[in-house]
Amino acid sequence: MLARAVVKEISKISRRIYLLELEEERLAKEASPGQFLHIRVSSVYAPLLRRPFSVAGVNDNNNTVQVLFAEIGEGTRLLSQLSRGAYVDCLGPLGSGFKCFSEETPAVLIAGGMGAAPLLFLANSLVQQKREVFMFYGAPSFSEMIPLQLFSTEGLNVIIATEDGSSGFHGLVTEAFQDSLQRGLKPGQVFACGARAMLKVLAEDSRQRNYHLQVSLEESMACGIGACRGCAVKVKKEQELPVPFARVCKEGPVFDAREVVW
Amino acid sequence: MANLKAHLGPLELRTPVIAASGTFGFGEEYSDIMELDCLGALVVKGLTLKPRPGNSPPRIVETPAGLLNAIGLENPGLDVFLARELPRLREQGVPVIVNIAGETEDEYVVLAAELCSAGGIIALELNVSCPNVEKGGLLFGTAPYSLQKLVQKVRESCDIPLIVKLSPNVTDIVELAQAAQQGGADILSLINTIRGMVIDVHTMRPVLGNESGGLSGPAMRPVAVRMVCEVFRHVHIPIIGMGGIMQLEDALQFILAGAGAVAVGTGNFVDPLTIPKLVSSLDSYLEEKGYRSLEPLVGAAVV
Repeated sequence: MLARAVVKEISKISRRIYLLELEEERLAKEASPGQFLHIRVSSVYAPLLRRPFSVAGVNDNNNTVQVLFAEIGEGTRLLSQLSRGAYVDCLGPLGSGFKCFSEETPAVLIAGGMGAAPLLFLANSLVQQKREVFMFYGAPSFSEMIPLQLFSTEGLNVIIATEDGSSGFHGLVTEAFQDSLQRGLKPGQVFACGARAMLKVLAEDSRQRNYHLQVSLEESMACGIGACRGCAVKVKKEQELPVPFARVCKEGPVFDAREVVW
Repeated sequence: MANLKAHLGPLELRTPVIAASGTFGFGEEYSDIMELDCLGALVVKGLTLKPRPGNSPPRIVETPAGLLNAIGLENPGLDVFLARELPRLREQGVPVIVNIAGETEDEYVVLAAELCSAGGIIALELNVSCPNVEKGGLLFGTAPYSLQKLVQKVRESCDIPLIVKLSPNVTDIVELAQAAQQGGADILSLINTIRGMVIDVHTMRPVLGNESGGLSGPAMRPVAVRMVCEVFRHVHIPIIGMGGIMQLEDALQFILAGAGAVAVGTGNFVDPLTIPKLVSSLDSYLEEKGYRSLEPLVGAAVV
């Protein structure tokens, strides 16, 4: 589970966003969409804890996994300064990812901001399985978006939304999705990742319109492997846990939206 | 090879490094990463009579070289522990210490008696220092008379080694250490986390769902070393020292201050291999310095 990965490539792809490619055979072989890596960003003790990042893709040909991250604090600043060839202490792949059990198409993926990272991995894997996939991707503004060439997989239908209207649909990504539903989009399974408020809106919408929704959640995390119970999320008791909390790192990060107490 | 066994009164450990309560799950989580035979013992997360859901998230926040947590003793309760977790722990082959917490004296007594008769546990650790629950716990750990009475009662209800985990959230930790000793504790473990708070300046609210939490990690190490030293001076039962231990030099500080064994908590989160690395570096250190065991070092800095 503990891996010493090598930085194959690191590049700044927009104002604050970086694409990190890590070479490590086991990670590339084992990672599935929705899982994450718990990366140690410093060899000293400040920042202290590892940082969790969704796997944004794998490349079996050269044994690499991709991580997309935005520089928002000291941990991600240090990560952005890694250079090619550096070793990275990674725990992973961790957590329970997306479960694609429904053959109903199309699969609909809804991403807010950096929530696009795990969904890009999922989109690519669904497209490879010849599934019809629609991906809605929203950000506050075009300048804060992950470059769209990362979404340019053949067969992937991408709808973008910006809150300031600088590109695509003018409004929230959830509004863009609801707009498409009204125009006749009939989703099979829906997968979403983004801010909690966005996921909550979708959870409510999925209940009303009766579609199946899986969400990838985020919570502050210490161990990443289920021991510390720091990353708790409130869930409904039917999950048969002795306590009404599940761990984002273990039972999650992907949950059935109906199981979560919003 | 030096002898790494730790002798803590009635308790003998195969190595002097323990996984601190609440940081190592039930061992399974870490058994995929490392061999568990380097652990002197594994202290199971605070167990209560009834299940406890724990606190509302967020439960943790990072601080400079530290971690503030308010898990709130989330645990499945005694019955589920006995039926499900204890058998799994036995399978791991790790010496198990169970950390117990109650709201009343009676709850501690029942927990101690039941665990003791269940068997397969090498010691109990009395949690009288959790800063994140409303009732019990810390209340016992901050008043010497109630602590002594509690320890006495638990002592009478079980016959396995009894460890009392002390809180740093007091004016004079020596008073509490002496009270625990008088009550019949075999071993003291210190320190639990230090109460703290982080405020989000954007939302203008405390970050943690519980508002305050307990600080652990390298940031609090000097406080812990000082307390171990003070307690060592005034109390004659063995001490398990803990607080921000990440590597050899940190563990040595606790040993030189009077700890006969050490525990690693937050360090496990940063590097899951902290304990195996520490055990092997303690071994090399003793070898290099020509010591046959840790004993001559215990308390060597205390004059």
